[in-house]
Amino acid sequence: MNRPRLPEVLTVAELAHHGPLGRATMLAAAQPDGPVHHVALVSDLEQVGGCRPHTALVLHMPAAQGGWALESALRTAWERGAACVIGPAEATVNRSAVALAERLRIPLFIIDEDPAQYALDLAAAVAAPGAARAQLAARCAAAISEQSSLRGIVGVLNTELPGATVALVGEDGRLLAGRSAAVDGDVSVPVPDVDGRPWARLVARLGAPSASAEETVTTILRLARTQLAANAARPRLSLARRGAQERLLLDALLTDEPGNEAERQAQELGWQLAQNVIAVFVRPALGAPAVAPEVATAGVLAGWYEEFGDQPLVPHQDGWVSWFADTDARRVCAVLRRRLPKVRCALALTAGLGEPGDLRGSLHEAALAASVGVRGRPGTVEYFGALGPRVVLASLPQEQLGPAARSVLSGLLSAPDGEVLVQTLGAVLDCGGSTTRAAARLGVHRNTVSGRLERVRARGVDFDDPEHRLAIHVACFTLAGTGDAGRDAGA
Amino acid sequence: MSEVTIEDLPALAAGAHLLMSGAGQADIEGVLHWVSALLAEHGPVPLVRPDDVPEDTVCAAVGLVGSVTAQAELPMAGDEPERAVRALEARLGTQLGAVTVLDTATVNALLPVAAAALLGLPLVDCDGMGRVFPLIHQTSYALAGVPLTPLAAVGATGDTVVLDAADERAERLLRAAVNVSGGWLFTALYPTTTGTLPRAGIVGAVSRALAVGRALLDAADVDDIAVRLAAQTASRVLGTGRVVDLEHRTRPADAHYPAHPSSIVVRTHAQPVRSIRLEAQNELLLALVDGALAAAVPDVICLIDPHDGSVIDIEAVTVGREVQVVTVPAAPVWHTPQGLALVGPRAFGFPIRHPREGRVRHPGEVRS
Repeated sequence: MNRPRLPEVLTVAELAHHGPLGRATMLAAAQPDGPVHHVALVSDLEQVGGCRPHTALVLHMPAAQGGWALESALRTAWERGAACVIGPAEATVNRSAVALAERLRIPLFIIDEDPAQYALDLAAAVAAPGAARAQLAARCAAAISEQSSLRGIVGVLNTELPGATVALVGEDGRLLAGRSAAVDGDVSVPVPDVDGRPWARLVARLGAPSASAEETVTTILRLARTQLAANAARPRLSLARRGAQERLLLDALLTDEPGNEAERQAQELGWQLAQNVIAVFVRPALGAPAVAPEVATAGVLAGWYEEFGDQPLVPHQDGWVSWFADTDARRVCAVLRRRLPKVRCALALTAGLGEPGDLRGSLHEAALAASVGVRGRPGTVEYFGALGPRVVLASLPQEQLGPAARSVLSGLLSAPDGEVLVQTLGAVLDCGGSTTRAAARLGVHRNTVSGRLERVRARGVDFDDPEHRLAIHVACFTLAGTGDAGRDAGA
Repeated sequence: MSEVTIEDLPALAAGAHLLMSGAGQADIEGVLHWVSALLAEHGPVPLVRPDDVPEDTVCAAVGLVGSVTAQAELPMAGDEPERAVRALEARLGTQLGAVTVLDTATVNALLPVAAAALLGLPLVDCDGMGRVFPLIHQTSYALAGVPLTPLAAVGATGDTVVLDAADERAERLLRAAVNVSGGWLFTALYPTTTGTLPRAGIVGAVSRALAVGRALLDAADVDDIAVRLAAQTASRVLGTGRVVDLEHRTRPADAHYPAHPSSIVVRTHAQPVRSIRLEAQNELLLALVDGALAAAVPDVICLIDPHDGSVIDIEAVTVGREVQVVTVPAAPVWHTPQGLALVGPRAFGFPIRHPREGRVRHPGEVRS
């Protein structure tokens, strides 16, 4: 892509962004796009009258002694077409001088260092504009390469681009790193992921927007893209690998006689399993989109660690297991209910909690509670101790009941809307035969439910027969738990 | 030849007020009453031009040196002019044939009238400043080589000081004497002959002060003042606006001058809005409009109340007050290189050139 070449002269804005003017305090920021061709150190006011156009005037005492002297220098600088005026810290700067600088559109700065040395620094930067920009780019590239996190890279950009605030914003508009003030900034650079797909944008807001500042900032934001994409991919890859390793370790620990090696590894990971724990079994809510297990694991682990910090989460069977070294299950339950919905990942999660005890026992109960919780809305957390009679349903051997249930209801399942009919029938039976309550639960009109029941009857399922009713109810419950009839039946 | 009458005194006082360039007027009512009483008793004082009298007529400038405020608090006994002149005559060994004026500003415009009335001498229409400057050697007399001393000074405590010294030394010695004499000394100084006055004095200074005073007193409103003043003195209005800032000790003070530096910032009403910065040290010394030097000492810079046309002293300026900034050109002698060296901006610590000196032109100037 052809980009316009940057002019061979630095502007006041550039010198303020990444040159010696960045060290100065800006009091009046008018016309920052003015080019700076020369630098003059002025100790006598009459020298100001001799300066060439586009000169940065560095005032030495006594040329800035008294408010009148500064105003006089500003006026003459304007008459001479100077680029900016830089006064020493001892200069008397008052409101009228700042107002005059703004009215004359002469940028005014104050420095807290020796004016002579400062003028030399400024002259060196002005003499080699390409060097100043390249130096900034090189400095940024070196600093970015040392960073190993998104936050670190964006932090470098925020530090190294004086006057600019930078943010990394996801495709969905979410702030991933940096300062929220920059989200609607002037400069935006797309950041693809490692596969080249759109992933995020780097956005910068410029303190004093100008064409040259925009060019320079864009160049440096582009420098950061590859490192950002690589850093973004790294946690996902490492999380998937870590998940696989820990799954094996947990399986080993849950055997009757876990080996010493497994226990040593668990200790190394900081897993506290010796004391009473409360196990948590996390599962995707029914109806969640099907995602490849390793991808789901990476996403869920990333979201979990973001919300719960170092709290372990280990893939196990068709979900993920965590445990809390606590004895108050209701407290843990409350924490989970509050924070589980905040876990940011593509899958809607539910969870079940076991009673406090050893991990194996507690995990068994947590899995049972989770099999009930999974039928609830995303974010549902069921506690085994609070299940009551529902524990019977949770304990049903669903894997064995599944084939029988599909056989019993095969007439319904063969219909084009079989899953809908099964879910509707289950809802009516759950509601004690009330079509009104079932309709409310499914979110459809009562007549829709009545119509569906007619089609159920037409397919030979007689759910009014007391001898069949419990069996049909259990079959519907089982199919709902396996997902065969778990899709949304409200349409 | 003309004369100064009782009726002229208010105009003389008003003109003297404007020519103070913003310095505090203090209370001159007492002096005004006293001089009026003297003129009622002795009759009008002849006001002569230097060539109206023989050129070998011995004369000396008279006036108050020190603080006018101190003089208002510790008033003159009434015999100081006579005692000072007699002491000087004794030192010179000859009698004065006329008196001249040190400066036609503040009470020093009125006191020579009192001296002339008391001594029965004519008053020469001439002074050494054409306004007021802080130091007694900042005069056209000194510029022309007329020695400041011998001088004779009389204070409120009845002491008489007779001094022979070089000009700048005389300033310091007399200032020390003022400090131990209650804050002021009535002084007779710059003894010379009337023949030197056409080249050494600012001839017509008393008449000018009277004309300025009449312009102020007779005008219908502030616009009328501007027209009348311009006709009499070629004055200019720099702008009318509101005081938005007062700053004190804004630049290093020169120890030779009494009072501390201060600044007044005025934002003008007219569009485009301008910022007028006034730099002061006892008197108003510089006026910058948007940073560009518009007027500078030795020209008079003064503030006039746009509502009632009265002269505003620096001490009476407050933020929010409305003022009209006016400049009155100094006597031509002050615009010479020697004059500007003695009382130009550089003499008051401002490292810039007076507008009359012109700017140093640099090649390739882009704006003017």
